[in-house]
Amino acid sequence: MKKLISLIVAGLVMGLIAFSQAQAKEDVLIGISKIVAHPALDALEQGVQDGVKERFPQARFDLQNANGEMSTAASIAQKFKAENVDIAVGIATPTAQALVNTIKDRPVLFCAVTDPEGAGLVASVEKGEKGVTGTSDMTPVKEQILLLNRIKPLKKLGHVYSSSEANAVALAEIARQVCKDLDIEFVETTVTNSAEVKQAVQTIASRVDGIYLSNDNTIFSALSAVTQVAMRHNIPIMSADPSSAETNDVLAAWGFDYYKMGRVTGRLAADILEGADPVDIPTVYMTEPGDVDLLINLDVAQKLGLTIPKEILDTANKVIENGQLTVR
Amino acid sequence: MIEGIFVEGLIYAIMALGVFFTFRILDFPDLTVDGSFPMGAVIMATSLHAGVNPLSGLVLAFCGGVSAGFVTAAIHNKLKVPHLLAGILTMTMLYSVNIRILSNRANLPLLRVDTILTRVQSACEGILSPEIASLIFFILVVLGLKLALDLFFLTDLGLVFGALGNNEQMVRVQGVNPATLKLIGVGLSNGLVALSGAFAAQYQGFADVNLGQGIVVSGLASVMLGEFLIKSNRIWALTLRVVLGAILFKAIMYLGRYYGYYINMTPNDLKLITGLLIIISLAISNYKRLRAKGNA
Repeated sequence: MKKLISLIVAGLVMGLIAFSQAQAKEDVLIGISKIVAHPALDALEQGVQDGVKERFPQARFDLQNANGEMSTAASIAQKFKAENVDIAVGIATPTAQALVNTIKDRPVLFCAVTDPEGAGLVASVEKGEKGVTGTSDMTPVKEQILLLNRIKPLKKLGHVYSSSEANAVALAEIARQVCKDLDIEFVETTVTNSAEVKQAVQTIASRVDGIYLSNDNTIFSALSAVTQVAMRHNIPIMSADPSSAETNDVLAAWGFDYYKMGRVTGRLAADILEGADPVDIPTVYMTEPGDVDLLINLDVAQKLGLTIPKEILDTANKVIENGQLTVR
Repeated sequence: MIEGIFVEGLIYAIMALGVFFTFRILDFPDLTVDGSFPMGAVIMATSLHAGVNPLSGLVLAFCGGVSAGFVTAAIHNKLKVPHLLAGILTMTMLYSVNIRILSNRANLPLLRVDTILTRVQSACEGILSPEIASLIFFILVVLGLKLALDLFFLTDLGLVFGALGNNEQMVRVQGVNPATLKLIGVGLSNGLVALSGAFAAQYQGFADVNLGQGIVVSGLASVMLGEFLIKSNRIWALTLRVVLGAILFKAIMYLGRYYGYYINMTPNDLKLITGLLIIISLAISNYKRLRAKGNA
């Protein structure tokens, strides 16, 4: 009897799932798969929705989050496939990879992927793949390092990044190459979680005269630990994330707003819904002046005894002076 | 979709069989799993990129997992460290090892390489849809592994394993060294886990060093759910219910994702559901055991 009941329960579960596949379709449905809840990625998700709604106010969204578990990324992809979403959007590398691997007959957009070629999503960033294109969050690493170098000529640049984030590893590779070209010694150290960040910075602080932080979720969640140590050693920080730099002692931050990147991805989705072919759309980079923010913190510059060249200050659209943030 | 759940459930069933071996047969709670699962994935991905044929890749992944299990068992046996700590130590070390295997990367895509699944799908092209082809392939793989395990537990060695979890003293009296048994058992278990990781990487299209997060918990949940489904102590039924439990676990997670919003549940709540599922399964089986004792 008990066996029978448990088998009936299992049968019901399966039946529900079979039933769920036969659901009526109405207006456009967009599935968004995000690897983890995180301020930048949440802003991105919101941006994608707003970007689509500009032209498809009736659009429905299925927002999924893998809670940082890679194995869940595939389950989400399966769900989108069963729902027959009109477009699937993958936020971050693993979720985008799982979508591309599972969904073959619908367009898939990736966003917040630093190295789409390295992630195997597209063969080349010059054009899209069959049904696959998206936006990259590659930041101008070379320009960021050059900017710091103009404010304070560097001999040794420190870099802390997390070895478990594909994006951070790709950016570290580029930063290493840039420093080699500029003849700056590159002192790097890696962390595996945000609890290790402070210690990692302490180990390199005495050996460097500047710190560069790339787009790295783990590092940004522990940014205050980095700035604490850096300020004690009188080291300037160049960061790739202007939004977290508003509340921390970072000398300069140059990067883009994730919400804006979401908007761009959302508009891309709307273009495809209106009939554009992903194959013709190369990977979109956030290079428009309107997409990028440059933040300069004059208070930090004063504490470090550095003067910011006027031409750099003139290009900044966010300046912190006497504890006040002015957006130009 | 339904075949998607079955395929995923079957892939994770291989891992759940490994977890069942350590937790239930050896009575050795082994947390190495969170490290050996991604280890299988990264070995497989690296081999495929190096042009090794997929079958040899699977064998390599299995061997990698076995050696990880050996390390855990050796730490436990030689240094008299509790099982949990030994597993955590190996799991922690494996993180670095896995990044090394991927040559200092965190993620390796398998979207454009020939995997065992693409081979199976192309072999069945025109006869079966890719989904059904993978489903049949995994049914055969899991059945094969299940039968191999059943046969193993019927051998003299396998029977001693069954005795070890129940009564270590008796095994000692019979003149068998429990330390050697634990070494073999934990090794085999992690071999299965790594094999599951190797299949998971090919199924998802990438290997990532963070692939192991939450794996041991989902394995446990599968084992407990299975125990809730079938009551028996025959070995074929024990392994069968682990497989069914893994499929049911995936199905429940899927339902939570699909219909959760009716009760204001978001995907962020799924971890809570996983924990509650294990607790409920434990509570029910404990209650039944207590009642059975009361009647005896």
